[in-house]
Amino acid sequence: MKLIIQRDRLVQSVQDVMKAVSSRTTIPILTGIKIAATEKGVTLTGSDSDISIESSIPKEEDGDELAEIIESGAIVLQARFFSEIVKKLPTDTVVIEVQNHLQTVIRSGKSEFNLHGLDAEEYPHLPQIKEENVFRISADLLKMMIRQTVFAVSTSETRPILTGVNWKIEDRELTCIATDSHRLALRKAQIETESNESYNVVIPGKSLNELSKILDDSNDPIDIVITENQVLFKAKHLLFFSRLLEGNYPDTSRLIPTDSKTDVVVNIKEFLQAIDRAALLARDDRNNVVKFSTFENQLIEISSNTPEIGKVIEEVQAQSIDGEDLKISFSAKYMIDALKTLDGTEIKVSFTGAMRPFLIRPINDDSILQLILPVRTY
Amino acid sequence: MKEMVPKKGRVILHVDMNSFYASVEMAFDPSLKGKPLAIAGDVEERRGIIVTCSYEARKFGVKTAMPLWEAKKLCPQLIVMKPNFERYRAASIRIFEIMRQYSDLVEPVSIDEGYMDITESDEFGTPIEIARTIQKRLLEQLDLPCSIGISPNKFLAKMASDMKKPLGITILRKRDVPNVLWPLDVGQMHGVGKKTAEKLAKIGIRTIGDLANANEIQLKNLLGINGARLKERANGNDRRLVDPESVSDFKSVGNSTTLPKDISNQQVLFQVFDGLAEKVAARLKRKKVLAANISITIRYKDRKTITRSKKLRNPVSQKDEISQAAKTLFLKHWNGDPVRLLGITGTDLQEKGYAVKQLDLFSFEKEAKKEPLIHALEKLREKYGKHIIENAGAKADIDIKSKIGTDTSFNKDFLQTFTNGEKNKKQ
Repeated sequence: MKLIIQRDRLVQSVQDVMKAVSSRTTIPILTGIKIAATEKGVTLTGSDSDISIESSIPKEEDGDELAEIIESGAIVLQARFFSEIVKKLPTDTVVIEVQNHLQTVIRSGKSEFNLHGLDAEEYPHLPQIKEENVFRISADLLKMMIRQTVFAVSTSETRPILTGVNWKIEDRELTCIATDSHRLALRKAQIETESNESYNVVIPGKSLNELSKILDDSNDPIDIVITENQVLFKAKHLLFFSRLLEGNYPDTSRLIPTDSKTDVVVNIKEFLQAIDRAALLARDDRNNVVKFSTFENQLIEISSNTPEIGKVIEEVQAQSIDGEDLKISFSAKYMIDALKTLDGTEIKVSFTGAMRPFLIRPINDDSILQLILPVRTY
Repeated sequence: MKEMVPKKGRVILHVDMNSFYASVEMAFDPSLKGKPLAIAGDVEERRGIIVTCSYEARKFGVKTAMPLWEAKKLCPQLIVMKPNFERYRAASIRIFEIMRQYSDLVEPVSIDEGYMDITESDEFGTPIEIARTIQKRLLEQLDLPCSIGISPNKFLAKMASDMKKPLGITILRKRDVPNVLWPLDVGQMHGVGKKTAEKLAKIGIRTIGDLANANEIQLKNLLGINGARLKERANGNDRRLVDPESVSDFKSVGNSTTLPKDISNQQVLFQVFDGLAEKVAARLKRKKVLAANISITIRYKDRKTITRSKKLRNPVSQKDEISQAAKTLFLKHWNGDPVRLLGITGTDLQEKGYAVKQLDLFSFEKEAKKEPLIHALEKLREKYGKHIIENAGAKADIDIKSKIGTDTSFNKDFLQTFTNGEKNKKQ
């Protein structure tokens, strides 16, 4: 294999596929990045066997020559070293050449590295996915949906299925749900598709986080294909495969309250800032709890009391408070996480009692919902 | 903060009950008086260890912590009794009540000893008069002997109370330190255990005087920060204040038990955990705290001991929750070998008023069912004050009948109850 390639494009591609490379893999060859040169261009692949990312660099794009293939072939290079090397190479072009016995020369300007490569034949094949039932969503919307849900997945392996985000597709609507059993995030959106298939799968939270980091904030379309145990996201020059989590996601629909006893409408920014300040005295894990109380004249009080440190009381003027008076305690962190995902100026918080989950939604927007379980005080 | 308090002129008493458990038994049953009596954790000889013994038994060479079989060999007529913790606790509470009549600054250290600061107590007489009165009242009213040390600080008071037993009163001034303390073996010093004494001997320190004049850097290298502290003490300096609240500075609640025989049957071990969890739960409830961290101790047949802990998502106080956490830890860390001792300890304790439980989406209904009740309780408390109503568990303040603590020693829980009780009275 021998090729000449634009350094910037190479760096970008290496960075993308690195997202899938883990140093703690049980399969030694997966610590490497596979580089393959064909007559179409160069593809780089990284994988930790849960996530696989393939980034391709065409020979030519918009009239610019990005890569020149002198001899096709493939090699696997240690990701840790290769990624650092390409970042620091001195000139705009890089020559990669595989010589005898997998010895690989990387040359750029007056710099020359000799790396011991690994046999590309040993590298696992990417999942074969038949591209039927494709549905399509713009990159920025996809990123938004991930951001609005993935934060709520569980980080504990006690219920592995909850470490993923539940994706349901029905009637051309995608619903993403994540819960760690203490809070739940739900986001819906219309998708483009020719197929009428319905799906109900669970994508690991980690995969979605990595995907979100790689995708550009553009409205380029992303094609999504779901199979029995894999999901594939296809962007321009990028394939992102993720394993799906096995098992049934719990049915959360019946757990989301439909009625409410107290409804509070409040400015999101004021509310968020008040919670954030109240949490200052409650930052550590154990006391990350604030108390929320409603009063007459549309007044909300958010307070926190940490005996060793002190206490804080924040007053927030609500737009409206309807229904019963309420005192409820909840994790400030969960509330801040949830509020940060919501756009708009006003939100409605709907409570059904101090020991029951409550909902946070933007006014006039059904596409997103955040649910939080309160804490019980003794 | 404490360092800033001027050290001049405090008068501290250390009241130390003489062979307390045995004395209480003798007060309870005067026919035991004058006989060699020992209290042992377990009358069964394999595990039985002398917890305390009367002075008559000591004449035969019977000592605290001696195995029962050895004591019996030394003194065949030894009367051995199981501890009656309820009796000792009741006696202890009355002792501290009497002490408290002479000063607000009473710090119980354990069931049978305490410090009191009588600097401001001159209305009751001179320090020696106060000491005599207390000793006399304890003997006449409770039939319990004690020794009292009078000194300008805690350390000297403690050393002083040790000097004359039983029924001694010893004054130890700072100026007496070179003459009285320095000739003593360093091992006799409060705060110097066997291990420390051995270490000190290696650098030629044998008496308290040697320690007082030892090289500080050398001491620090040998014993760390404690080295400097011990040197200070050996010179008669101790800035610790008498702190009536110190008993409530508890950091953990734990129970352990030596099994009657080495066991490797998981089911049986789990039953042991259930029993331990019940005890820990009872003690947590009494202290009105929850544990956010549960640790277990496993001692194997070969005495190899491991401790493993886990931080919990929600603090616990219920038997089932504690037991569950302990068993999970056990299964993770047990190597399958026969087990000699098991223990459960709750740490990272949180006061009930500030502890919270994060509700779970899939189980909140269980908690929510209690909501009307909790709501009603809150209303009552809002109207009539915090203490108007409490859960049955929290109310078990004085009347706990179950034997708590480890099987061989008493725990300090009740001292806290006592100080709390006092505090409530004052409110």
